[in-house]
Amino acid sequence: MPHPFPKPKAPMPRIRLALCLTLIAAPAWADYPETLRDHILPGYAAFAAATADLAAAAQADCTAEALRPAYHAAFDAWQGVAHLRLGPVEEDGRDRIIAYWPDPKGLGQTQQDALLSGDPAALEPAAFAKASIAARGLFGMERLLYPVAPTVPPCALIRATATDLARIAAVVDAEWQIGYADAMLTPGATPDAPFQTGPDVRQALFTQLAFGLEKLADQQLGRPLGQPSLPHPDRAQALASGRSLRNVLLSLQAMRAMVETLTPDAPQTIAAFDRAITLAEKLEDPIFAGVATPSGRLKVEILQQAIQRTREIVGDELARELDTDISLNAGDGD
Amino acid sequence: MAPLKTGRRAFLAGMIAATLPRASWADVGAPAFLAAAKAGTEYELHGLSATGDSLFALPLPARGHAAAAHPTRAEAVAFARRPGTYALVITCLTGRISHRLTPPEGRQFNGHGAYSADGALLMTSEVIADGSAGRIGLWETETYTRVNEWQTGGIGPHDLKLRPDGRLIVANGGIQTDPSDRSKLNLDTMRPNLALLSTTGEIDEIAELPKDLWPNSIRHLALIGNQIAFAMQWEGDRSEDVPQLGLWQPGQPARLCPTDPIDALTMKGYAGSIASADGLLALTSAPGGALALFTTDGTPITLHRSPDLSGVAAGPGGLVATDGTGTIWAVNRDGLRPLARHPVAWDNHLIALRA
Repeated sequence: MPHPFPKPKAPMPRIRLALCLTLIAAPAWADYPETLRDHILPGYAAFAAATADLAAAAQADCTAEALRPAYHAAFDAWQGVAHLRLGPVEEDGRDRIIAYWPDPKGLGQTQQDALLSGDPAALEPAAFAKASIAARGLFGMERLLYPVAPTVPPCALIRATATDLARIAAVVDAEWQIGYADAMLTPGATPDAPFQTGPDVRQALFTQLAFGLEKLADQQLGRPLGQPSLPHPDRAQALASGRSLRNVLLSLQAMRAMVETLTPDAPQTIAAFDRAITLAEKLEDPIFAGVATPSGRLKVEILQQAIQRTREIVGDELARELDTDISLNAGDGD
Repeated sequence: MAPLKTGRRAFLAGMIAATLPRASWADVGAPAFLAAAKAGTEYELHGLSATGDSLFALPLPARGHAAAAHPTRAEAVAFARRPGTYALVITCLTGRISHRLTPPEGRQFNGHGAYSADGALLMTSEVIADGSAGRIGLWETETYTRVNEWQTGGIGPHDLKLRPDGRLIVANGGIQTDPSDRSKLNLDTMRPNLALLSTTGEIDEIAELPKDLWPNSIRHLALIGNQIAFAMQWEGDRSEDVPQLGLWQPGQPARLCPTDPIDALTMKGYAGSIASADGLLALTSAPGGALALFTTDGTPITLHRSPDLSGVAAGPGGLVATDGTGTIWAVNRDGLRPLARHPVAWDNHLIALRA
């Protein structure tokens, strides 16, 4: 697929540049245009590049051993933006296609089995783009590259999955560059624009951080933790490829970086992130297998509590700093 | 002597109140809607015109959930958030709180209420604090004295609507909550239902969901004639895609209306408000930042996006939605069109006044 899209524009307004030149001693400017320029657009560009590499690698050699490095690179890149669930990635369920997890009923495996035993035409790009979302994306790729039992690699499905993932990543990247970035930089440009004011944008970005942290604590750690009497190490995310802890760590690092682009003045928030990141770095339990033992469980719970504490501080200090709050209705409906 | 004097004074005050003409909705600008809002750190109840102008803004002592409007008098009841220990009757001309309703000992308001068509009775959804068994409180509306209560046939009732035939529909959400802090206590065993209550409070009929959907709490209602459209909130595994909309014609089983599979993901298993107008049915999902549109027979049409959409109601000009950024939207098949924007966050529900 051709990519006739312009490169990302530097979204720094001229007046702000003038300010920077005159106020040399002023602290680095940080607000949503910087988040867009330094976090969101590079994040999606990196994800598009990494998935394009994976698709190219799959064409060259579809064995699991050959593809695993490119798969991990693509998954790493996704963790750089996985906390962002607004704009193009939400269209047509793309975020769920990219990362269909959790999948408690094993729909992904069922749908992939159906694709493997069905008409090969279903693996053509146009047809595969309409295939079950559970069968596709990074977790579809994981099942193919880390099969439960050794198999002959299903090359056609591996290539279809990689190509589809790269296509979606390219579309998300392009739609941010050619439309959504402008919508974010010029809120209220039209009456039906997705953002009407600058505070709307800050609120939306703040919400990504708050919900992103909740998802880490409740889902990526909460699912394997289960209940104390009934832990579920089998429910850890990306268990087969050994990425459960890595995904949490990379996500924390990405969100910390995002905070720094939003404001230079949230020291407690940064400290809370640093504490959680340090705990994650020191946790020697890549797939949270320890949740089944008392001491191992405690370590994962301590990480979970550090993330929950970060969420509280984000809701307090960062909300104050950005003059925003968790959305009234999304945060607490009835 | 003193007690007599007090009694006489109260009697006289009552006489004066009864003989004073009470303000009608026209006297307060003929609002089309009521909506609770958060303005800075304060809470308010607004009367809104059909085009989204705020006609009045009255202070509320705490965050409100929903309101009910008297059919003729410019009088509204604002319900506290669930589980609530008070509801306030507000005279909209002056903003004065004329009555503070308190449920009987051991009962809690559960967020919604409805007036009878003639305005003589107010019905409130309530739970018995211990165990969340549902009750409907009945209050006469001259002095707002509690006159009776009915069982709802389920646990954790939330929204309720009066049908044109005078019978009451109650959404028994099925969730047992901790009386003090809204914690949900029975997500593993919940079993919501819809109950149709006769004009004298007998349970005429109950509709239930299939067992695999019992974690789908039935919370909000819209009437399409005598048919009931109901909106659900999924308490089960978040990765499952389940319907948020159902339709029930009493005498028949309830029918579930799945959202388009891709849009269902956006709704995040959550429908906050529901309303119907002009052959359309709208469901909002604030967590998804979306409004799903269906035909009134439950066929999905499209999905519109905007952050923190929550309130939706049928106004004189069609469907209108409100959100936490202060925007009021006209809703149609093609999209959302902004009508007005206010420096407040509109809270969960938008309440239509009867035309």
